[in-house]
Amino acid sequence: MEKPAEKKKKKPSKSDSGSGSGFEFWKWAIASIIFRLILIYFPKNLNLASRPEISTPLTSLRRLAEGYWLKELSMSPYSGSMYHGSPLLLSILGPLTVKRLEGQPNHLLCSLVSVIADSISAMLIHGIGQRLQGAYCRNLRSLGLWEPFEGALPSGDLAALVYLWNPFTIVTCVGYNTSPIENLFVLLSLYGACTGLAPVAAFGWVVATHLSLYPAVLIIPIILLLAYGLDAPPRKLFLQKLSQKAGSDSSSDGHPESVEAQSTPFSLRPVLIFTFWSLLWATYILVLCGISLKMSGSLWEMFERTYGFILTVKDLSPNIGVLWYFFAEVFEFFRNFFLIVCHANILFMILPLAIRLYHRPCFLAFVYMAISSILKSYPSVGDSALYLALLALFANELAEMQFSFFLFCGYVGVSVLSPVMHNLWIWRGTGNANFYFATAMAYACFQVVLVVESVSSMLNHDRRIRKLSTSTKA
Amino acid sequence: MIMDVRLILLFLLLLFASESLANEEIVEKDEDFSEALLLRPLPDRKVLAHFHFQSRLPPTNLHGRHHHLFPKSIFQLVQKFHLREMELSFTQGRWNYERWGGYDPIASSNAKPPGVELWAVFDVPQHQVDAHWKNLTHALSGLFCASINFLEHSTTYATPEWSFRSSGGNLKYGTLPREAVCTENLTPWLKLLPCRDKAGLSALMNRPSIYRGYYHSQRLHLMSNEFDSNGLSSGIVLDQTLTIVLQPNILGTGGVFSSGSTLQPSWSLSSLFGRKVGGRCVLSKSSNVYVQLDQNLVSELQKVGKENEGSHHDISENFWSDPSFEMSVPPDKKIREVESLDSGGSSILYEFSVENYSDSKPFDLGFRWKVPLVWSCQQAPLSVSRYLMGSGNERGSIAISLKSNRMSHRMKNVDNNAGECWLRVDLFQVVPWYVKVYYHTLKIFIDEELQSMADTVEKIRVSPSEDKGLPGVMEMTLRLPCGVRSAALTLEFDKGFLHIDEYPPDANQGFDIPSAVVVFGDFETSMHLADDDSLNKIPLLSKLRDNNRVLAYTEVLLVPLTTPDFSMPYNVITITCTVFALYFGSLLNALRRRVGEERRLLKSKASKKTSQLSLLLPKLFAKLRRKSWEPPNQSSSSSSFNYKLIVKVLLVAGLAVVWQYYSS
Amino acid sequence: MERFGIGKFTVLLGLLLATNLFGAISSSDSTATMHTNNWAVLVCTSRFWFNYRHMANTLSLYRTVKRLGIPDERIILMLADDMACNARNKFPAQVFNNENHWLNLYGDNVEVDYRGYEVTVENFLRVLTGRHETAVPRSKRLLSDEGSHILLYMTGHGGDEFLKFQDSEELQSHDLADAVKQMKEKRRFKELLIMVDTCQAATLFSQLHSPGVLAVGSSLKGENSYSHHLDSDVGVSVVDRFTFYTLAFFERLNMYDNASLSSLFNSYNPHLLLSTAYYRPDLYQRRLEEVPVTNFFGSVMETLHTDSAYRALSGKHSKMGKIKMPSDQSEEDMLRILESSDFKHQIVDLNVKDQQVTCPFTRTWSNIHDKIQKVKDVDGLVNYGLVLLIPLLAVSSWLSS
Repeated sequence: MEKPAEKKKKKPSKSDSGSGSGFEFWKWAIASIIFRLILIYFPKNLNLASRPEISTPLTSLRRLAEGYWLKELSMSPYSGSMYHGSPLLLSILGPLTVKRLEGQPNHLLCSLVSVIADSISAMLIHGIGQRLQGAYCRNLRSLGLWEPFEGALPSGDLAALVYLWNPFTIVTCVGYNTSPIENLFVLLSLYGACTGLAPVAAFGWVVATHLSLYPAVLIIPIILLLAYGLDAPPRKLFLQKLSQKAGSDSSSDGHPESVEAQSTPFSLRPVLIFTFWSLLWATYILVLCGISLKMSGSLWEMFERTYGFILTVKDLSPNIGVLWYFFAEVFEFFRNFFLIVCHANILFMILPLAIRLYHRPCFLAFVYMAISSILKSYPSVGDSALYLALLALFANELAEMQFSFFLFCGYVGVSVLSPVMHNLWIWRGTGNANFYFATAMAYACFQVVLVVESVSSMLNHDRRIRKLSTSTKA
Repeated sequence: MIMDVRLILLFLLLLFASESLANEEIVEKDEDFSEALLLRPLPDRKVLAHFHFQSRLPPTNLHGRHHHLFPKSIFQLVQKFHLREMELSFTQGRWNYERWGGYDPIASSNAKPPGVELWAVFDVPQHQVDAHWKNLTHALSGLFCASINFLEHSTTYATPEWSFRSSGGNLKYGTLPREAVCTENLTPWLKLLPCRDKAGLSALMNRPSIYRGYYHSQRLHLMSNEFDSNGLSSGIVLDQTLTIVLQPNILGTGGVFSSGSTLQPSWSLSSLFGRKVGGRCVLSKSSNVYVQLDQNLVSELQKVGKENEGSHHDISENFWSDPSFEMSVPPDKKIREVESLDSGGSSILYEFSVENYSDSKPFDLGFRWKVPLVWSCQQAPLSVSRYLMGSGNERGSIAISLKSNRMSHRMKNVDNNAGECWLRVDLFQVVPWYVKVYYHTLKIFIDEELQSMADTVEKIRVSPSEDKGLPGVMEMTLRLPCGVRSAALTLEFDKGFLHIDEYPPDANQGFDIPSAVVVFGDFETSMHLADDDSLNKIPLLSKLRDNNRVLAYTEVLLVPLTTPDFSMPYNVITITCTVFALYFGSLLNALRRRVGEERRLLKSKASKKTSQLSLLLPKLFAKLRRKSWEPPNQSSSSSSFNYKLIVKVLLVAGLAVVWQYYSS
Repeated sequence: MERFGIGKFTVLLGLLLATNLFGAISSSDSTATMHTNNWAVLVCTSRFWFNYRHMANTLSLYRTVKRLGIPDERIILMLADDMACNARNKFPAQVFNNENHWLNLYGDNVEVDYRGYEVTVENFLRVLTGRHETAVPRSKRLLSDEGSHILLYMTGHGGDEFLKFQDSEELQSHDLADAVKQMKEKRRFKELLIMVDTCQAATLFSQLHSPGVLAVGSSLKGENSYSHHLDSDVGVSVVDRFTFYTLAFFERLNMYDNASLSSLFNSYNPHLLLSTAYYRPDLYQRRLEEVPVTNFFGSVMETLHTDSAYRALSGKHSKMGKIKMPSDQSEEDMLRILESSDFKHQIVDLNVKDQQVTCPFTRTWSNIHDKIQKVKDVDGLVNYGLVLLIPLLAVSSWLSS
């Protein structure tokens, strides 16, 4: 896991977006990490670990500690519906939950792990951003449209800083749960796909799917990335460009080889490599799980306690999602039907998005992540932190996105209101469940608006490019 | 009609009984019934009354299934569910271990948790136990007019292995802390007695006076080895006990003495129960009334005796009048506990036989104090209490605290190997599943400092709670040093959220955590009575004699849970589905929109020359193969078309409204 | 009808004895619709101390029907809360329906069949329609037959076409009508008297269509039913007006009186009730003037003269078969449950087996199991495996790039 990180250390030097901003970036990144380290020392008066917005039944380390304790008693960690995570996390983080450094707060080691995970994932985002930036500029140049888009932001640095300084990420990192690690693996898979390292992509994808079911949908963007390469304007334009170039033979504009490179058809080989490696990793992970569950429990129990717990929304404790209250109130005999409907809502959208955005796989990945964080059973702000960082990767493309200020205010308002309502309902007892659920509703609506707006503005961006390219052609 | 049937039945019973009494001493192994009542003055000006009825049935393989005294329903229970042992108790109020004693046979076997407690040992293979338990709860709920059938769900009963009782895996244990206990539970219990409450000691049970008491526990314990593989079996033994703590109404004799301490209230059966005993139940082998003065009281009396006459012999000389108290009826017999090793004093039992009393000459025992006395009951080595910590409806923690009663003189039967003296305490606690206990947060404090689990917990068994499946069960054996002053044990928990249908009608009252059982395994209490078989004939005394473990029940905890809005389901469903629809529709719309498509659409619609259909098909084709399709463009105002559309929609809506109106 | 005319003259004590014998005997052999026995279902649907009066109503009716001869085993009594031993009750184990505490309704011989949280709409409908689990004991079942006369008395808080149970759920008039229809089709009653004391009680009968049903309600639509008086010692009002005057009517009666239902219905005075008692006779065939109240509130019925002992015996046998049915049915059902559970176990085992056979992963790590069975520190092994991931990852990426 160290490998990609230290590979990224020397990445900015040879990044084509001037390395003058690189220094600024490092300063800010290190500042944010120091800020986290400071925050770790005051967990008691922050008391974030028990916030429903931050730690869900799936990601809370407290439940993990319970599972580890049960395992130490040579019982199955899944006996009793307390722990629903992966047995590998149990054997890595379990000892850290009981190990104590004298004079230090108890949770220090786990929090350090999440800080490291956050920094690594920031590096990965940075790397992805560099790649995307490079591809963006190259494509525009190859289409001869560099002038209107002059002065593009260094989206890699921007996204990494957004990830590091996002309050959601910070509270998640301090909040004593495992979602930083899940985010890390999602980003690792994306990074591997962007850099064309099929094994890394496969590894990240397998582990992320193993930790939290929903990243499984990322297989489509990863395959698209491996097959077609990075995000680009629709390929029709390149083809047109190519044909027009063939028509008017001796013309010195554009970079023909890059155009050739861009207009490559679906290349099967990396996909095959990816499938091979993902099978390999899956086998490996399953074997490890089997070993760690050898004494107690079985793989089948693991599946039914992790994925089954995610799919059949068993825990009705409040979170920022919309499903808990829905399933607390819905009539018992409709429960299965609505379970199917809620999960199918994620699946229904996969195909249309893939058809429409197949030429922008990274953006597709962002949309998938956002959708699953809207509709997943036990969402937390960690998921939002992930997709917001991914969103910042497309700062240039989404320059003319609508409602951005409105959305910003919405996120701020929800993240202020939700703790207040939770306190009124649970602690004061003066409020009502509906208050808290209303904020969850508002949060879902804002996320929906964000997704829809980003998608439509990305499509508009493509249209604009097409218009311009046709105009230049004419 | 029913009455005269009952009369006939009673008559038959009488016939049977008479002949059974006749040939009782010939045939030893005949079924018999015996009743007894034990009265004991308590230090806090109350009186403990303990009824004990025992009916035993010889094994059916020797004597057939025809029996005239033993209740048929119980016999059928045993036969049908293969019960080896069962105990069912209905309790109101909580036994006060500090004041009413925690270290005597009655307290250890008859102090029960509030509500209903049921445990049963089945004599069936492991996989049938649950089904038998389910049917047993239903049968008992029909028999005793209580909702014991709530114990059928797997979330309500547990399987203790070694802490509660040492028995095989066929023991099931369940409690209903909030079950109301009232006369409709006592009536069927009384109907199990051969004389109902018509005659004998049970005639004292006047409902209002019983239920006015401070503590009231009605217990049914049956024991059978019918199904033993080896032939020898002692049939079925059914013990029914009713333990009441009553406040005698002061008869004006509460004169204040020079010492300032007020006199203990005098009492009599009629003042306690409002009734008198009109003779024995003719079907009972023996029917006695006992007055017990426990050890500390006796030692007090001896002090008083020394002050008055110097020698304390006169307790044993004149029965009915003692320097410190007097009884209206001379006791037939005085049973004195033999001076035992560990116990400080020796308690005294005065026996009254109600054989020779009748309705014309009813038995009404009166007890009057002459001098004020202050004494205290014998305490268990540790006094237990359990409470909740934390506020709010999200999480909290359970704390069980054990305080020592400075009973150093009883520490001798604790193992003293290697010079150190340990005190073992078994703990058994069942929590419902919606109280999600984090067992890894178990902390143990001894004398206010935190101890590591390794050197205080000797044995622990945890079966954590399954959501909607199993309760959380914790059994552990603590090992405390003998000199311990106080020990505490805390567990954190999260409060679960239930489905709207799982809340009871009065959800805002909160939910009950059944009381935990604390067993002091090293201690056993018994009365050391002289060994003559005349005492063995009396079941109550034999019960008092044999050892039973000292145990204590903690308080029931009341946990408030947050409730959703019970009136909201439709709103929640509609609103949530609206959000889903918003997401789905708007995203799909954003995906399928194209440049200038709307404009072209309007144009094509506006072209009135060509019919809609003929335009529709090519457009569909065009859409299928994503080609831009140029309509025959006539420039016309799209606004007129919009108006037309709106008018159409309004027309359809109006039609629908009219249709609805006339159809209904 | 004229058979009843005879019966009216021949109702005597000995006849009572005989009728009780015959009540035990289902006259399946004789005319199908002969009146065989009387049942009563008395429901108090409301919880909490301030609804003391509803329990008092129900218990008063309970006492009345017991006094008029319905035995306890044919009364299903549902009490939604425990008032007698309630901590707020100044008179423990006693319930009074009048401020002169002459009569303790909660005497020494009350058998409550459903109480507390058991009193739900579901259980109520189960009792009526007879659809119970096999484990439910007979004392909680309404074991009526096609010749039974059933009195169904309900009191609580209600409204337009509904009656609240425990302040948490409602019994709709449709549910009631549906249950009655099922009872009719299952031949669970011959005649049914539904008596409801609640606000707007009349609306609860609006959906009834089954023949043989007579319904009495305490108030019309839009009217409230009021409590009669408040007992300052108990602290709450102890009885409702409708029930109070019903009892006032019945207290004058004994088992042998022949007061007719119409006289009962006419005894309701709107000025005293402060509401208009409503009864719906249209589904009931007989004329109310000729039906004595003991037809429902007591256990009085005419004899069947059998000239030969065989018929009675055969009837007895058949009845015994019928009686014994639920118990041993439950037994064998229990056995069946057990067998099926065993079967399930086997199935599960089979699944596990062939799963192990089919799934390649399981096979691989199962034989890896056999290798590492001797390994003590599993977590250490797993951690080594996880650490091993990193070089593997590096090598693989180096290979592919």
